[in-house]
Amino acid sequence: MYMTIDERRLEAFDGETVLQVALRNGIRIPSLCHDDRLEPTGACRLCIVEIEGQRGLPASCCMPVSDGMVVHTHTEAIEAIRRTNIRLLLSDHPNDCLRCEGNGDCLLQDLAYEYQLDFPEKPHEKHPNVLVEDDNPFIERDYDKCILCGRCVRICEEVQGASALTIAGRGFEARIATFSDGGLMDSPCELCGHCVDTCPVGALLDKKRTGKGRLGDLTRVKSTCSHCGVGCGLILLVRDGKIVAVEPDHEHPASRGSLCVKGRYAYDFVHSEERLTTPLIRRGGKLKPATWDEALDYTAARMKEILAESGADAFCGWCSSCCTNESNYLFQKFVRGVIGTNTVDNCARSCHAPTVAGLATTLGAGAMTNSIGELENAPCILVVGSNMTETHPVIALRIKQAARKGATLIVVDPRRIDLVRFATRHLALRVGTDIALLNGMMNVIINEGLHDEEFVEKAAEGFEDLKGAVAEYTPERVAEITGVPAEEIIAAAREYARAERAAICYTMGITQHACGTDNVLSISNLALLTGNLGQESAGVNPLRGQSNVQGACDMGGLPDVLTGYQRVDDDLARGKFEQAWGCTLSPTIGLRHTDALNAMGEGKIRCLYLMGEQPLLTDANAGHARECLDKLDFLVMQDNFPTATMDLADVVFPATGWGETDGTFTNTERRVQRVRAAVAPPGEARLDAWIIAELARRMGKDIGSGEARETWDEIARLTPSMAGISYDRIEDQGLQWPCRTPDDPGTRFLHADLQAGTRKAFLKPTQHIPPAEVPDEDYPLVLTTGRRLYQYHTGMRTHHSEGVDYVMGEELVEINPADAGELGIADGDVVKVASRRGEVTARAAVTERSPAGTIFMSFHFAETPTNLLTSGALDPKSGIPEFKACAVRVGKAGTAGRRRKTKSRPKARA
Amino acid sequence: MNVTDYRPLGSPAELAELRAALRQARDPNRRRIRLCTTGCRAYGALEVLERFREELRQSEKTLELEVVGTGCHGFCAAAPLIEVDPWGLFYHGVTPDDVSEIIEASLNGRLVERLLYRPDPASAPVKRARHVPFYAAQRKTVLRNCGRIDPTSIHEYIEHDGYAAFARALTQMAPERVVEEVTASGLRGRGGAGFPTGRKWGFCRAAEGSPKYLICNADEGDPGAFMDRAVLEGDPHSVLEGMLIAAYAIGAGEGYIYVRAEYPIAIEQVQAAIHQASQLGLLGDHILGTGFSFHLHMKEGAGAFVCGEETALIASIEGRRGMPRARPPFPAQSGLWGKPTNINNVETFANIPPIILNGAGWYAELGTERSKGTKIFSLTGKVVNTGLVEVPIGTSLRHVVFEIGGGMRQGRTFKAAQLGGPSGGCVPARHLDLPIDYESLQEVGAIMGSGGMVVMDDKTCIVDIARFFLEFVQAESCGKCVPCRVGTKRMLEMVSAFTRGEGRVEDLDELEQLALHVKEGSLCGLGQTAPNPVLSTLRHFRDEYIAHIEDKHCEACACPELVQSPCHHTCPLHMNVPQYIGLIAAERFEEAAALIKEENPFPNVLGRVCSHRCEAKCRRGDLDEPIAVCALKRFAVEGFGEQVRRPQSPPVRRAEKIAIVGAGPCGLSAARRLTLMGYATTIFEALPVTGGMLRVGIPAYRLPRDVLDEEIKGILDLGIGLEVGVRVGESVTIDGLMDDGFNAVLVAAGAHDSVPLKVPGVQAKGVCDGVVFLRESNLGLDPPVGRKVAVIGGGDVAIDCARVMIRTGAQVQILYRRTRDEMPAADYEVQAAEEEGVAISYLIGPEEILVDEAGEAAGIRCVRMELGPTDLDGRRRPVPIAGSEFVVEADMVVLAIGQRIKLPFDESSGIELAPDGSVQVNPKTLSTTREGVFAGGDCVLGPSTVVWAASHGERAALAIDAFLRCEEMAEPFEYRPVAQSPDICWAKLSDTTAVGRARQREIALEERCRSFAEVERGLSVAAAVAEARRCLRCDLERRER
Repeated sequence: MYMTIDERRLEAFDGETVLQVALRNGIRIPSLCHDDRLEPTGACRLCIVEIEGQRGLPASCCMPVSDGMVVHTHTEAIEAIRRTNIRLLLSDHPNDCLRCEGNGDCLLQDLAYEYQLDFPEKPHEKHPNVLVEDDNPFIERDYDKCILCGRCVRICEEVQGASALTIAGRGFEARIATFSDGGLMDSPCELCGHCVDTCPVGALLDKKRTGKGRLGDLTRVKSTCSHCGVGCGLILLVRDGKIVAVEPDHEHPASRGSLCVKGRYAYDFVHSEERLTTPLIRRGGKLKPATWDEALDYTAARMKEILAESGADAFCGWCSSCCTNESNYLFQKFVRGVIGTNTVDNCARSCHAPTVAGLATTLGAGAMTNSIGELENAPCILVVGSNMTETHPVIALRIKQAARKGATLIVVDPRRIDLVRFATRHLALRVGTDIALLNGMMNVIINEGLHDEEFVEKAAEGFEDLKGAVAEYTPERVAEITGVPAEEIIAAAREYARAERAAICYTMGITQHACGTDNVLSISNLALLTGNLGQESAGVNPLRGQSNVQGACDMGGLPDVLTGYQRVDDDLARGKFEQAWGCTLSPTIGLRHTDALNAMGEGKIRCLYLMGEQPLLTDANAGHARECLDKLDFLVMQDNFPTATMDLADVVFPATGWGETDGTFTNTERRVQRVRAAVAPPGEARLDAWIIAELARRMGKDIGSGEARETWDEIARLTPSMAGISYDRIEDQGLQWPCRTPDDPGTRFLHADLQAGTRKAFLKPTQHIPPAEVPDEDYPLVLTTGRRLYQYHTGMRTHHSEGVDYVMGEELVEINPADAGELGIADGDVVKVASRRGEVTARAAVTERSPAGTIFMSFHFAETPTNLLTSGALDPKSGIPEFKACAVRVGKAGTAGRRRKTKSRPKARA
Repeated sequence: MNVTDYRPLGSPAELAELRAALRQARDPNRRRIRLCTTGCRAYGALEVLERFREELRQSEKTLELEVVGTGCHGFCAAAPLIEVDPWGLFYHGVTPDDVSEIIEASLNGRLVERLLYRPDPASAPVKRARHVPFYAAQRKTVLRNCGRIDPTSIHEYIEHDGYAAFARALTQMAPERVVEEVTASGLRGRGGAGFPTGRKWGFCRAAEGSPKYLICNADEGDPGAFMDRAVLEGDPHSVLEGMLIAAYAIGAGEGYIYVRAEYPIAIEQVQAAIHQASQLGLLGDHILGTGFSFHLHMKEGAGAFVCGEETALIASIEGRRGMPRARPPFPAQSGLWGKPTNINNVETFANIPPIILNGAGWYAELGTERSKGTKIFSLTGKVVNTGLVEVPIGTSLRHVVFEIGGGMRQGRTFKAAQLGGPSGGCVPARHLDLPIDYESLQEVGAIMGSGGMVVMDDKTCIVDIARFFLEFVQAESCGKCVPCRVGTKRMLEMVSAFTRGEGRVEDLDELEQLALHVKEGSLCGLGQTAPNPVLSTLRHFRDEYIAHIEDKHCEACACPELVQSPCHHTCPLHMNVPQYIGLIAAERFEEAAALIKEENPFPNVLGRVCSHRCEAKCRRGDLDEPIAVCALKRFAVEGFGEQVRRPQSPPVRRAEKIAIVGAGPCGLSAARRLTLMGYATTIFEALPVTGGMLRVGIPAYRLPRDVLDEEIKGILDLGIGLEVGVRVGESVTIDGLMDDGFNAVLVAAGAHDSVPLKVPGVQAKGVCDGVVFLRESNLGLDPPVGRKVAVIGGGDVAIDCARVMIRTGAQVQILYRRTRDEMPAADYEVQAAEEEGVAISYLIGPEEILVDEAGEAAGIRCVRMELGPTDLDGRRRPVPIAGSEFVVEADMVVLAIGQRIKLPFDESSGIELAPDGSVQVNPKTLSTTREGVFAGGDCVLGPSTVVWAASHGERAALAIDAFLRCEEMAEPFEYRPVAQSPDICWAKLSDTTAVGRARQREIALEERCRSFAEVERGLSVAAAVAEARRCLRCDLERRER
């Protein structure tokens, strides 16, 4: 359709607002309450326009366009009212621009400038919004400056879904408040900072950046978040060699201006006093500072020694899912090309090994089939074993958004996780019964003929086997196994199968089981059965954990594959690398992390080169891990911070970290995107790439300069699925692999060929297997583990960022009130949790979030090393340990003392 | 069919059958007492009902007589009230003690005379409700069942045609037909905006999407509006039926009634009604055996005014904060839960059943061209008959206020009516004849709104009213949009400042501009209409705002920051009235006299002839009668003034000389004050005598000559130069005076001319000018008086002439062209004239003075008049009745239709005149356009009163002093706070028992008609003290500024 704005004939589209059309065409209409991410509200009354043939002055942000509409945006009458409105706002605003943190970044100030208006001369009564004394460490609320545009309230509800804020009071006394009218810490606030981001004035500010420089003083460096696999885009604000703040990147295709509390506020670990700043060599039992030459020469000498004594199989290298693609590539190149072994692995082994194993088998690739952004438009979403509001907060926003738009959201999780608030239904199954449940759903689907026969016919093999396998899983039987009522299973099956497109998201609730790979296969089966693959807003979407866990795997940080999943036992592929690297490579698949650990225990592996990993906290049955590592002859550790592993290390290399390193990360949706060095590293810390290259040189091999762009070009040359990706192309925005040629736009969703019928996938029937360790009399409860919003991984970054520990500073044992009551445990009591393998103490959080019979703990705190408890059982197909289920007993160890302020939101909301 | 059980009705026929059975079961002779138990509850109606039930139980008369609690009958001022059927007898002010008598009388077919209503004390009692003037002029359509049926009984509703309209729609009309019928009726939404109801239904019916919802907005929130409440409480089923019809027409299956939680009775009745209707199968699935289903829920609103706005109301039902959102989309497209939704208010729905039952044509006959039907107004404020009034749209405001409302309380003046609540506007007196319809109201800056009608009298301050409404809307703003949240706050700040006398006149323009921007810029109806009270009062009463700002004067005496006490505030001389009354009450008479003599240049004169504006505003007057301030002043001065030490003639301390033109009250006051300041002053007087109008205008029986002489002597003795018989403009000129070394001149000439009557025959012999007659009479020239005199006019001069002539033995008749209500002469003067035998004829206009052959007046050809529409000055214009001419015989005709100023100079003197011929002055300083020349009294004010003239004298003296000192006048004259005197008290606090005020002793009527002896003889000591002790001392409530 066409409309006219200010005498200009413009094209407009159904569903657009007048403001959108105007802004799209560069017609500026002032506004204070408008934010693209939010539903329009029309509160500030600045974007009012005149529409011919209509009474009054409607707000253009709320006014839908219609064909032939004639709009005037800057008539004299409108401008007069705008001026009045700005004056009114100024009359209720403190005249403190000189010292206001928002100075220069304030829309009200901009408007005052544009309209040349001053603060009123005569004093007016000011609204009674006093500064709320907030005890949260991140967000400053100074409501003296609030203009009540409502953006914070709306973004908290519409985007974050936390609904922590509201407008309270009426008339002039209307103000922003939490529901309890208290501080943010006592509200459902998730401290994501969306409110700060959208606040057009200085009423909401980041506390951590206060006084550290005005907008104009800061250099902006675009980068990718260091925490989880969502890979949100962010801007580092740098002054005098320090990162002083982080802002979200509004242009980022996946995060679209959103960040979680960690992304926004946990950045200052970069400048922690505790960083490793000098190489260390163990001398006389103690780690002593050394020069780089000493440390590198010593390491090269020891490695050569061991190589000479025991050969390459005595070596093991573990690279890191939080280092760049380039570092990981060089690392595995070092292990494979310099040492000569394929025993290289990364912590993906503990998270998504079953995904890589499972999906590669059935579908042909072990990654998220679809893009994050597509989830928002999925009519049905099945979330299995994924507490994504805490583990992948920004992906969770897309799911919440989909639910807001009316999507059916089915949450399958033993715990009453936060996402349940948005769900159509919650299937609270028993820990470790996913296969039974999924088989049950497929049973219903096949019985009711809801499967996509045409798709199955053209794109899947093994339907009859599957049909036979799931036949036994009647809803009634499944109800018995899973504890989910049969009618819920039937309803969920119908909803999923009948949806036009349905997406599945899963995380480690699926993978971290002894049957992890079968779990993944079941999910794959369900999607194939219903044809939910190879199209937009559908698919199978494993959400990867660490910031670059996808990349670490893509780069060949695995014992069986080179970059881009080119198998080491594939002579053709290996030959290509041998030629490129100028060396011969071992055709033998290396040892997986868990197997390598055992080999260390047995003395077969004598040397471990560890880059950015902390196995003592992350490995299941951590006691066993320490025993094994202790047997090593030579342990080289390369990291940013001192870790528990340092107790055992012979050499420590201080490495540069995020914020100091150029390179790329690959996020969970296969997007290769840039991370950038914004500041210089502390002390003697050096780039991972430099260290590896130097070490190689001293071992007598040249593996390149280690320069990031040069390294990437080498990767692209050797990796067909990424051949089309170059630094030039990802300067502004990343590209999703497969991206094979320089003009390939990348791949938003995989497996379009299945829909086209040019390739077949495989249905792999599975059977329910109970967890390796089930509760008994001695250990009557199930422990399931996971992560929390306010911490990340072992806390290496979060513990070293100011404020995070204040919000969530200790481990909590989440336990159902029924169990707690039986054990005489009150909320806040110190409890002892013991398994057959060890025991830890922590405070109890009594909450309905945990189902009766199951407790929940995370592994973020060295003080409470939860993995001392977890089972050593492994999934035989992928080697992943069963973190999600082991038997424990809980006993009270002390009464409630003064509890640290924590914001774990243990109580589920209705 | 058994009429006592509640079974679902299976078909429309069963409903009709039930109705017939109910009607048959009713015994037409059974006595039935209908008692309002809703609105009248506050006046003890429940106690009355309880007593009825108890007595009937005891006397076992329940079969012969039933008593039912009903909804509001409308006439709230008569609460608690009952009607007795089958006669429709009307009793008001019923107490439990009256119950036995009512039962007894009703059973025996007798009346309880004492409980009958009298429109005014003098009139005969009215027996039947339909004859009570309050009801007689109404047209009850929506309120048809209110007060008539028991609202808790669905059976009574059905008996009175209840659900018949719904049954008709359901069985005989397609949904589209229903929409058409409602459209054809011309019904417009009664919630305020007046959108055509049928069109609104049509939109929702046509909207895509399902389900559709129907909402009844029963969140009536306008201060002073309670019609929806009355309907919900008194006839809830009419709303349900209206909703059923609407739901059927629109295709809605589910509905909500959103009732404000502050209406507990309404909530109770609605819940009961929903329950009963569900039981009878009139709500729920398959209603009356058809395919139509409708489920109705009630939702309580928590008292947010903004939830009356439909999008905010929807948000509230959805469980969100009640905040409006921008439209489009309109609720008809996307309303409750995003589905097509139709919202109407209670009154609108209650209109539907009669429309469907009687047809659109029947309905469209009521009302005006563009506004059909009736509208309920809740009539409140300073009107006699408050209550609910239902009249055809287009009825005039005057009709509602004066006919139905019985006029103003205590006979005060109608000032304005606030229509449409806080979103509406003030309609001033000059628009009393405005037909109340949507368009006409909009033209004068008001709106129909929900129908609130708050009547205001002259004690209501317009600025204060604007402040009140702003305070309300500001507190109720949801806070969402800037203009409403902050704009109304800033407006409130400005208006509040005005009530304190702060601000500048230019602020009014700023206020108006801001108000317009808030109106145009706000998001929802609340903000868009919030400025209306300000805009309409600025439009109609801007002067009152200016008086607050410039003069710090609140004519209504309502703004506490400006008014210490109404008497002090209203007094042109700003005398410390409460203090001297306090002193009299404390029997400290000399101190009272001293205080009065200090502040008042003519204490003895003004103790007699003051127009005592103070008494009109006296707060005691709200209780019974105002304090007799004037008489108390006379009492103190006359009885105890002698003892007060006279001021010595002060030495001349100032070099400047001042000339004063005119020895009337203004000139003398100014001379006195200036002399006391130390100036040498000289008065030039044209007449041979001093006193001006005091002497030549006021007859001796009102102001004895000795009193006047003594008072003037006291002033002149201060050392004031006097030259009588000097007519400035002739022997002396203003220029001459200036040349003679006078540094300042005060022109204080009086209004000694008359307004000529322009009819044939005025030149005849025997026709005289009233002012001239009085002057000659008062100068002792004994002008001739006829035998049969006709005085034409209704002012003080007319009355004075009449009373003087009566004393000469003449037969006197006054002819006045309006009614006594409009008469400018003081009421007590008119009364005195009548007592003395003056005949006063109203609504008579002279057309010609008949002249006999001798050239002498023989009579007046008159025409009868009637009052037409309101004039610009707020008085109704007299209009001649054609063919009603008649002749009044008279041998002398006195023309007294008005006085005129006679100025001793023209504009060549450099002194500019106003268009009406008065001297143009700066109202604060009384300075004319010529430097050094000031003017005051009648020549500025036009014919005015002694106290105003004296006040001008005082003001002029201060202004001249400031002028000569080359200073600004320190502060406005009005802004003269007085010391509070809490120490003046007496043993007993003032008695608030209603008692009449003290009357002065008067000489016998026969004596007074024969002589010029003073009529009033003052108060006795006991009477004066008692009178003073009636004073409520409202000044003590106020803090010192």
